[in-house]
This record gives sequence, C-alpha cells and structure tokens, in this order.
Amino acid sequence: MSTRPPMSAEERDLLAAELAMGLLDAAERREAEALALSDAEFRSAVARWSGRLAPMLDEAAPAAPPERLWSRIEARIAPPASNVVQLRRKVTLWRAWSAAATAIAAGLALILVTRPAPPPTVAGPQPALVAMMQAEGSPARLVATYDPSSRRLIVQAAAGMAPAPGHAHELWLIPASGGKPHPMGIVSATAPNRMDVPMPMARDVAEGATFAISVEPPSGSPTGVPTGPVIAAGKLTRA
Amino acid sequence: MPILAPRLVPLPYRLPPAFPSPSARCMTRIMDATTGSQERRRLAGALAAVASGDREAMALLYRRTSAKLYGICLRVLGSEAEAEEALQETYVTVWRKAAVFDAGRASPITWLAVLARNKAIDRLRSRRAPAGEDLDAALHVADEAPLALEVLEGEEDRRRLTGCLSELEEKASAAIRAAFLDGLSYPELAEREGVPLPTMKSWIRRGLLRLRGCLER
Repeated sequence: MSTRPPMSAEERDLLAAELAMGLLDAAERREAEALALSDAEFRSAVARWSGRLAPMLDEAAPAAPPERLWSRIEARIAPPASNVVQLRRKVTLWRAWSAAATAIAAGLALILVTRPAPPPTVAGPQPALVAMMQAEGSPARLVATYDPSSRRLIVQAAAGMAPAPGHAHELWLIPASGGKPHPMGIVSATAPNRMDVPMPMARDVAEGATFAISVEPPSGSPTGVPTGPVIAAGKLTRA
Repeated sequence: MPILAPRLVPLPYRLPPAFPSPSARCMTRIMDATTGSQERRRLAGALAAVASGDREAMALLYRRTSAKLYGICLRVLGSEAEAEEALQETYVTVWRKAAVFDAGRASPITWLAVLARNKAIDRLRSRRAPAGEDLDAALHVADEAPLALEVLEGEEDRRRLTGCLSELEEKASAAIRAAFLDGLSYPELAEREGVPLPTMKSWIRRGLLRLRGCLER
C-alpha cells in the first residue's frame, strides 16, 4: 500500500485526531480509514480524540426540534418491506466478509436463484423466512431460518462467534409490532441450534420481526430483557 | 446437536458444558455499566434496548436527547432546515448502530453528541462541494468507534478543555475550534488564514499535542 516508513506513535495519534476532526483530504482520509479498519488501537485513539474535543459541543445551546421531525424519523426506521434484491446484496456482502459464511450464503443465494418468488397460482406451504444477524463493530454473523409450516427454527453462527468462557449468547425475538424482546434461549456458537417454536410465540416469528443475540451471564439474562451488548441483530425477510 | 431452549423452559436454562461460571472480567463489565449517574444509566439502557429494535426506547431516547443534539446541528449548520435533516440522519444512524455503543466504555450523551456533530459537518461539506466525492465516509470511522470512558463530560470537563485550549497559541486554538465546530479542513483553514498548507498543519498538530498533554495532566 504505502511505501512510507512506519509512523511513530505520535504521528499515529495525530492522524487519529485529524481523522476524528475531519481535517484530512480524500486520499489521506482513505488511508487513515483503512488503518482504522484494521487496527483496533488506532480506532480507540480516534474515539479518544472525539471524546477529548466533545465538551466543545456543550457551547451549543439546546433547542427543541419541530414536532414533525419525530414522525419523519419514525417513518424512516419502520421495518423495510421484504426485498429480494436487498437480500441478495446482503448475501454478496456476507460472502466477502467471511469465508465461514460462504457456504451458508451460497445456500441462500441458491434459494434466491431457484425460487425467485412462489408462483401465485400454486397454493403451497408458506415461504421460509431468513434473518441475517449482524451488528456493525461486531464480528458475529448468524443466520436464522424459519419454516412457518413446521415452526422449525434453525440458528447457525456463520462467523465471529466462539464459545465464550464465562458468558452465554442469548437469542431474542422482537415482534414486528415492536415491544419487549422475548427471550428464546441460549444459542451455541459452534453447532446449529434447532428449535420447534411453540404456538403462541410462533405467531410473532413473522416477516418484519427481529432476531437479536446478546451477551449474557451463563444462565441467560437474569431480568428477562437483554442486559449485555447486542452483538448481532437482523430482521426476518422472505427467503 | 444442542437444543435451543425454548422460552417456555423455566430459568435457569439448561446450559451446555461449554459455559462455565462468569469470569471476573465479565462481572466487572457488568458492574461498570451500572455505575455513573442515573441519567447516564437510563440513556445507556435505552440505547441497549434500541439495539434490539425497541421502538419505545427509541422514542424515549429521542425525547431526552433531541434538544441537545438539535442545538449542536443548529450550531454547526446555522440553518433550521439543514439542522433538521442532520438530526434526522443522526437518529436513523442511532437506530442502525446502537449496538456499537458500549456502556462500559462510553458516555451515551457524548457518543450521541459526537454523532450529531459528525452528521452536521458531513452535511456542511456536501453543501460546500455538492458534486464532490463520498464525504460521508470521512467521519464514518469516528461514528462507529466507541468513546473511551475517560471522555469528558459535564461542566468540569468543559472548563478543563477551555482552560487547555486557552494555553495554546491563539492561532492554534482558533484553528482547532474552527475545525471541530465549523468543519473546516486543513486547506480551508490555510486559505482562511492566508498561510501555506504545511504551516497550518504544523500549527494544528503542535496544538493538538499540547492539548493532549494538558488534558492528561
């Protein structure tokens, strides 16, 4: 990439400050961003600089935004309609992200190719649902597939999940209508997790619902709601 | 094949043997998240719920923080219409990226304030260079990185930063402020002050190092 000599610690920290402040030109910025992607220490340095300078923002006097703004935001965070192109793009991304995800992504891509849409004339089983779970800043990638006719759910870690000593990964379901996450149990980081979703809950495992994985104490969340960081989440869409 | 414990199985879940008791580090993290002011805890809790897709938590977060963040957008952009757009971008990003926020390491309001500042400056830049390159990427990294716990918060920290800025040469502190609050880049600052680009760079870099030293004192 670069033929320049390695940066000193001081130069790196200054670069972090310049990136945080937005001082760099396009080429310098791209280089700094590449470094931030590959180097967690540099990323922290960028964040530290933002934090150091942030108190300047207190100079800005608070002001109430117009009422209509919240409804505009609410509309933009509404669950997106199922979109095969979007799903296909996600699959492509996943393939790039992780070799471990490739097999699963390829499987999904195959489903997309061979079953672009259920023919409307055939009264068949309900379409399978898929959720790609991920969160920016977290390496964890999981795929949940759900067959509404058999109520069979399979959750499989594709990448970035290792058995974590001292804590557990808990699966949550957030219904499309919103509301509190429902705990769905501890998931294994290494093997596929299969479950038959019991009936009252199965109604909520529908298009637009969200699956999320949080880090919890070994016996699961003690409170019934997620207590640790959410390392992956994704909405259910038609496969 | 491990079985995923369904919701109807009473707690505690039956666990595979791969999960031993909580490590000291894990417990410390959990305790970290419960220290700090009540408001900070409340915001951190709201962010965690937002990360799992909780719309009510999102509404609460908006009610409690939008005046502060709108003030920041107004300060940077100087126009209500633009500030509204930037604020909207900010909260849509919060919705998408709340999972990145780490309550053990960061102050929620600082995280949100920096995010709003970055969105506002992003907008400012795209206004200045409408047909330009991908300006959004400029601040992308800073958006995502969690802020360290030692970040400044509250009146005391603001006084400290102001004090440290005032110890710098006037031209350096003015340039740092203009970069952070008005989104001016190196070339723009150099042009404004009528100095060569390397001179401006060296003013700011020297100033930043001194500032860091002063804040860490």
